[in-house]
Amino acid sequence: MPEPASEELLRELAPQVLGALVRRYGHFDTAEDAVQEALVAATQQWPSEGRPDNPRAWLITVASRRLTDLLRSEQARRRREDTVAQWTMVPAEPVADSDDTLILLFLCCHPALSAASQIALTLRAVGGLTTAEIARGFMVPEATMTRRITRAKQSVRDSGARFSLPSNRVERLDAVLKVIYLIFTEGYASTTGPSLQRVEFAAEAIRLARLLHRLLPEDSEVAGLLALMLLTDARRPARTGPGGELIPMAEQDRSRWLTAEIAEGVELITKALPRGPVGPYQLQAAIAAVHDEAASAEETDWPQIVALYEVLLRITDNPMVALNHAVAVAMARGPAEGLQLLERIEGDERIAADHRLFAVRAHLLELTGDLAGARAAYVEAAARTTSLPQQRYLNAKAAAIAP
Amino acid sequence: MKYMILTYASQVDYDGMAGKDTGKPAWSAEDFAAMGAFMQKFNDELSESGELVETRALAAPVLTRRLGSKDGASVVTDGPYAETQEVLAGYWIVECDSFDRATEIAGRLADTPAPESVRATAYADIRPIVEGQEDLAG
Repeated sequence: MPEPASEELLRELAPQVLGALVRRYGHFDTAEDAVQEALVAATQQWPSEGRPDNPRAWLITVASRRLTDLLRSEQARRRREDTVAQWTMVPAEPVADSDDTLILLFLCCHPALSAASQIALTLRAVGGLTTAEIARGFMVPEATMTRRITRAKQSVRDSGARFSLPSNRVERLDAVLKVIYLIFTEGYASTTGPSLQRVEFAAEAIRLARLLHRLLPEDSEVAGLLALMLLTDARRPARTGPGGELIPMAEQDRSRWLTAEIAEGVELITKALPRGPVGPYQLQAAIAAVHDEAASAEETDWPQIVALYEVLLRITDNPMVALNHAVAVAMARGPAEGLQLLERIEGDERIAADHRLFAVRAHLLELTGDLAGARAAYVEAAARTTSLPQQRYLNAKAAAIAP
Repeated sequence: MKYMILTYASQVDYDGMAGKDTGKPAWSAEDFAAMGAFMQKFNDELSESGELVETRALAAPVLTRRLGSKDGASVVTDGPYAETQEVLAGYWIVECDSFDRATEIAGRLADTPAPESVRATAYADIRPIVEGQEDLAG
């Protein structure tokens, strides 16, 4: 029985093959098309002819041949148009496979691209998702996503980026981490539609972070990001009820949290923190770890969470961090102190109209016993979110408080 | 041929879905979950059959901004609809063989799980899409 062309294997090999091609020939956009065609050839031929001994070499050979054809026809077309046609053959350098994937990630997160394009290109070129899958995930027509990806590839080409590790590597790694985290949060707290979780995107982000961690095992922020996503994703089964309704962390059935993911995340962050330098992903992972290791909401080490948020506030200027800090302070030192902190955040126009600010105020007012104020704030919060599941949750909280 | 299927709802309907007390029987968690699952399946099937071009749900009417003009100046009105006035709630664009097929597709929306009072008055419109100038020129 011939071995099937397993989808998993192809997805793992796709970025390596693309990386190898772009390193040798350049032409990111055309190379991407050639790799897609090689992958299609593999799914058609391997089941009947058997998987080759070296699938990666097979794919590189087929994709190279296809790329040469595509470039020749492009060259011929250009010659007809009287344009000077030139495509460079960069001599193959002995570079490890892992570097190719890393360079590919850097290329996809090129600063010339918008965040939406960076995400789409990363999912396509490194994640190996089809355009249709990415389009479905972002709820846009496939034709729109095709155009977005094509434009992104052209922008990379026009930027003249060479296929090598960029000189501003640290800065670019930040962009890569951000893109992976955006893919994760898109999957975790989907902003539109009746469904709150899009599990595939979260899983894909974790897969990409694992890959990056394998390539850069010494980078503590890469480890921090992977840990953060594992520790957050570990709560997924308890995060929504049978009807898809949101369940806040304090009310979640913690026995449903994924213990293997928690253990892995805790180990990663425990090793990364002392190695330093400590960045925002490690700090958020450390906070997630404190939550995940508590047997109940009451038994959470709130003072430690407050301390971690204070370090985080010193290195980031993010109003959501300030909001979470206020919640932690309320839990550690009482709701009155939390409400005092909220007053300071309310002046920040980045968050002043956000439903989360009103939801937190409602919760803290409820804790102080100001039920009328809490009720009004829950209703206000519900009116400020377009997500129906969140509206249902907030309206239910308002209704549960007797007028 | 492409067709647009349009569905309608009022602010009261949206409030009911959001779990707000509207005087009408409220949507239970089960109703809401069943509606979400039904829509997901409906869309997945249309996507599988290759007939789905695009679909969107629209946010509540109260979030509407209407741009008009008064005495030559632009005027923006917030949420201009009465609570009970039905406005566009969502749409599908399907590409299928015939008007009858589009009608059949839209007909399946009648099975959308919802409280009885909502189901009793729900309706959808189907309209052929004009593809280009030549369609208009006849």
